[in-house]
Amino acid sequence: MSPPAVSDAQLIARVLVQDDRHAFSELVRRHQSTVRACLRKLTAGNAALADDLAQETFLLAYRNLKSFRQESKFSTWLYRIAYNAFLADARKMKESPLPDDADLDTLVPEDEQDAKPVARAASLKVDLERAMATLSDAERAAIIQCYHNDLSHEEAAVVLGCPVGTVKTHVLRAKQKLKARLGAWAPAA
Amino acid sequence: MGSRRMTMNAHDTNADDWLEQVLRTDAREHAASYLPDDGFTARVVERLPQPAALPSWRRPILIALWSLVAVAVIAALPMWFEDVFRGIVTLFIGQRIRLADFALLLTLLGGITWSALFLAARTE
Repeated sequence: MSPPAVSDAQLIARVLVQDDRHAFSELVRRHQSTVRACLRKLTAGNAALADDLAQETFLLAYRNLKSFRQESKFSTWLYRIAYNAFLADARKMKESPLPDDADLDTLVPEDEQDAKPVARAASLKVDLERAMATLSDAERAAIIQCYHNDLSHEEAAVVLGCPVGTVKTHVLRAKQKLKARLGAWAPAA
Repeated sequence: MGSRRMTMNAHDTNADDWLEQVLRTDAREHAASYLPDDGFTARVVERLPQPAALPSWRRPILIALWSLVAVAVIAALPMWFEDVFRGIVTLFIGQRIRLADFALLLTLLGGITWSALFLAARTE
């Protein structure tokens, strides 16, 4: 995909100098998919909540655009705002019940022997999502930033607002938990 | 791009770790899938705070007030001018003004005038 004719930095400058709403809408259009997808992962697939948080993310980005120092990519800055919006919402919703762990102790492939590869992949994807939902917010966020958002540990640390070592620990723990949950999917040695 | 970064992130894991493969595949699918806008951008733009602008009724009132101030200044100017002139004369009487000082003064005045004209005439 060819790079856009107008860079993010140029659009940001237009918003800051001329309060150009068209430029800001272009920024939203460019980044809406990644931000919404990231939030869908963070909210364990709750698309409506993810979209609400994504709207909140872009509104906060607009209000605080002056504070964006361009030391990191605009998308990384957006991920950070999105993650903070998610955390704020999670604090509010702390009393809401988590997915039923009884069903998730060990996710077993359905009819593994007979399943076709496509069905098997789809089934694994569903199980992975359910297993991801059982991780702590910090562990899930670390996996999402490092794998799905393709950030380095250092960039993920900026987004998550914690030291690099903590990110590595979260990733390691998350993977240990996922391994335990998805153990039945592991190929036989 | 994704796999390169992923390799860097996963340096502490075994290369043929099956979970690593599962996560990489999921990340690739995640990166490849694009969520259609479906009016999302329009909803965000709708919720942006309104730009700070003067209400329409305040503009003519402000213009009238500033016009009043300008008229008052113009009316008072002859008296002020006289005071300033007397002050300058008092200041310079008895002092020798060299041609070079006079030229410097003229240059400064010219510079200030041109700068003011340039600032007033520019569109932005």
